[in-house]
Amino acid sequence: MEELSYVGKSVPRKDGVEKATGRALYTVDMVLPGMLWGKILRSPYPHARILNIDTSRAERLPGVKAVVIGKDTLGIKHGFVETPRYPPDQYLLAMDRVRYIGEEVAAVAAIDEYVAEEALNLIQVDYEELPAVFDPEEAMKPEAPEIHPSHPKVKEPYKNIGGKTESGWGNVEKGFDKSYLVREDRFEGQLRTHCYMEPQATLASFDLSGKLNVWTSSQGPFIKRAKLATTLGLPFSNVRVLKAYVGGAYGGKIDLFSHEFCASLLSIKVQRPVKIVCTREEVFESARHGQPILVELKTGVKKDGTLVAQQVRVINNSGAYRGSGVVVIFLCWGFVMLCYRIPNLKYEGYSVYTNNPVRAPQRGHGAPNLRFAVESQMDTIAEELGIHPVEIRLKNARQKGDILPNEDSVRNCGLVECIERAAEATRFKEIYGKRKSQEGQRIRRGLGMGVSSYFSGSLIYPNTSAAIVKLNDDGTVSLLTGALDIGQGAETILCQIVAEELGVSMDDIRVVAADTETTPVDIGAWISGGAYVSGNAVKMAASDARRQLFEVAAQKLEANPEDLIAKNREISVKGIPGRSISFTQAVAASITKRRGNPIIGQGHFRTMKDIPAHPSLATTKGRWSDNYAFDAQVAEVEVDMETGQVKLVKATTAHDCGFPINPLLVEGQIDGQVSMAQGHALWEEVLMKKGKTLTTSFLDYKIPCAKDLVESHYIDVITERYEKDTPYRTKEVGEGYVSGMVAAIANAVYDATGVRVKTFPILPEKILMGLKEKRNKPR
Amino acid sequence: MKKQLIELRVNGESFELAVEPQKTLLEVVREDLGLTGAKEACGTGECGACTVLIDGKPILSCLTLAIEAQGKKITTIEGLAKNGDLHPLQKAFIRYGAIQCGYCTSGMILNAKSILDENPKPSRDEILKGLEGNLCRCTGYNKILEAVMAASTGED
Repeated sequence: MEELSYVGKSVPRKDGVEKATGRALYTVDMVLPGMLWGKILRSPYPHARILNIDTSRAERLPGVKAVVIGKDTLGIKHGFVETPRYPPDQYLLAMDRVRYIGEEVAAVAAIDEYVAEEALNLIQVDYEELPAVFDPEEAMKPEAPEIHPSHPKVKEPYKNIGGKTESGWGNVEKGFDKSYLVREDRFEGQLRTHCYMEPQATLASFDLSGKLNVWTSSQGPFIKRAKLATTLGLPFSNVRVLKAYVGGAYGGKIDLFSHEFCASLLSIKVQRPVKIVCTREEVFESARHGQPILVELKTGVKKDGTLVAQQVRVINNSGAYRGSGVVVIFLCWGFVMLCYRIPNLKYEGYSVYTNNPVRAPQRGHGAPNLRFAVESQMDTIAEELGIHPVEIRLKNARQKGDILPNEDSVRNCGLVECIERAAEATRFKEIYGKRKSQEGQRIRRGLGMGVSSYFSGSLIYPNTSAAIVKLNDDGTVSLLTGALDIGQGAETILCQIVAEELGVSMDDIRVVAADTETTPVDIGAWISGGAYVSGNAVKMAASDARRQLFEVAAQKLEANPEDLIAKNREISVKGIPGRSISFTQAVAASITKRRGNPIIGQGHFRTMKDIPAHPSLATTKGRWSDNYAFDAQVAEVEVDMETGQVKLVKATTAHDCGFPINPLLVEGQIDGQVSMAQGHALWEEVLMKKGKTLTTSFLDYKIPCAKDLVESHYIDVITERYEKDTPYRTKEVGEGYVSGMVAAIANAVYDATGVRVKTFPILPEKILMGLKEKRNKPR
Repeated sequence: MKKQLIELRVNGESFELAVEPQKTLLEVVREDLGLTGAKEACGTGECGACTVLIDGKPILSCLTLAIEAQGKKITTIEGLAKNGDLHPLQKAFIRYGAIQCGYCTSGMILNAKSILDENPKPSRDEILKGLEGNLCRCTGYNKILEAVMAASTGED
């Protein structure tokens, strides 16, 4: 196999210098001449009818240039999902009703933020309060207030059902009858949030040609363009979403949001640029957080631990609109069925409307909560059967070559090896279960394992990534890609691919990225398909450029194109030193001999090429992804038995990501996910009371800081490889590795203390309560 | 409020500015001087993204009034590279993968600089303690620690 020079290497970030010197421009940094500042007025009530809005006093305030409310819009609803079953359900500015505290009611553009803020105080909104409901199980009851009275919903005996997913195979009842042991448990996830450091921010500038230019802190410009154009009633081509650096997203910046719409609408109205930057408090109070999920899990196993049947009921508190709630209940099915072979499964997932802010995906999108449930119960079952946790996982693990129930193939599954190697590296079999030997010690150690799996790209608008690789006169290369680097390193790995295919250095490549006008379409940085889908599009474009270069060079060098190699911006004949021409010469020759062709390579790629659409969110039928990443993670914790404090000491991640295009970036992704898992499992929670957010700052909502650093170890299980001239398969590394780790932490806490906490986060008081209960009922 | 005329020394240059007395140093360096490397992520002194150095010490520029910074030596991230040559910490952050989204990077590097200026050979725990006030949601701090350790050993 040909040795690779760039792909597979720990190349430093392409944007490293710009970011290290403070020169990288984020949306919050963007300024345009004549720019106005926008602010948004939000509902103070969780559920209310809007009787009247009087904006006249605000409009008269000196410095105010425009005020918009619902009736100034086209009244087009939007949704994270827009299908016949799940039609759009949310206005970008409330029309006649508000359904959560923080819902957008009006927006103002003024000469500065202070005037805009003052104008908000002058808008008079008359509300009539309506009964509200906040807990999803309360909202499902027949007596609960109806949150969307006139909206088509899924027909159910329960109330407020925004979406339902049902799936399964075999016969679970028979399976439970045949089982040696059946366990039923309920696990509750908490509301947690992304904490991207750059707040939500947008700059919109409507120009005199009728085009709307938008910079926004997002996870991909194409979906923003589509939704902005649709809701503003503009042709797609009249909306241009451009690149700015993005200060973190983690799932929280995908969908179209009201501030983006309002900045655009205000800019159209006043014909000046309008910028809206949300405050941190606004982000905590009204931006979309993650999905809090309840999991009811019933599992039957044979005496040897083999899974026989599993019944899963998931309830998601989606907030006042669907958001990604109907996706997460589909995904939770997937995160059940991927890791283990389950002969009989019954799955139902409900997404329930409540009078809370809307929810978004957050790194793992359901997987962390689901794996927390399955993996916790797996350890309990193993203990009851007297089987080692590693053994029960190996016995049930998904195997290479398995065909999933939806007909996807896991042709390259490295899960067994992940489990074995993670166990070996942590001496799991020797160390686990030594609680008794630590009796009397204040600080006890424990370790636990969790496994998970994540899909790598699926079919969601825009369904494709394309790329252009242009040769320049000086022999350098320009890559045009729609991919957006949100910190994950998209531009870096795409340049590595170009460098590899064309034999140029990383410094020889200029990137033009994430601009709906000048760059080709891209799937976006939110469907875990960047490395696979966008990477293959770029590979094809680079390889097309090389083919053209070699055609020209072959004539000049009187050789076969197959005998040529490209290196250091030169094309030479294999084995004949000195017989070569430079890229510059080849480009010049192409222009001369091929009617001005300057050499432009094109590429495109779509996952699951013959499959028309995403699988059904209602039934899960249909193919979902070409590739699935797998991991086994081990957490080592120390628990203070007097205070209940848990310290995550060490995290080991054995993972099958296909192959790493850039090991340094993959490590960074793992570290970040371990850190997020630490916060998720141990302390993060957005606290709410009657629809009001109580945790509105980083002081109230603690995320890991430097002192919480976790020693992180990585084990690459390689199941795929990169070869020139053929599409490659690789897998995602950006969001699957939160899940195994949150589960591993929960299991490690149990190993140390004997306390099984089934609600996240695992706060010290829960451990102390558990210890007290154990003391009070001695066996 | 009525503007005041002040003089700020930023990255070795002097600037005469008319600023409202309630304006923060962060607002002035970003809006008046165009030095947007310092970032606002919370605006209330909880995250460290707005860190700049005043007389070599890290301060939260979102909680500091611009008028208080008169007569002092202010260093922002833009002032760290000398003649196009990156500071060893900037190089180490790039080389060790300590940057992802980059939003916390300016504050993180400046704070790390003040740690190393005060104690050229800090221990692992001293570095982590020193960086406690700079939140990063991307990296888990592992690569940041490696980068600061590398810079402290004189790696350039």
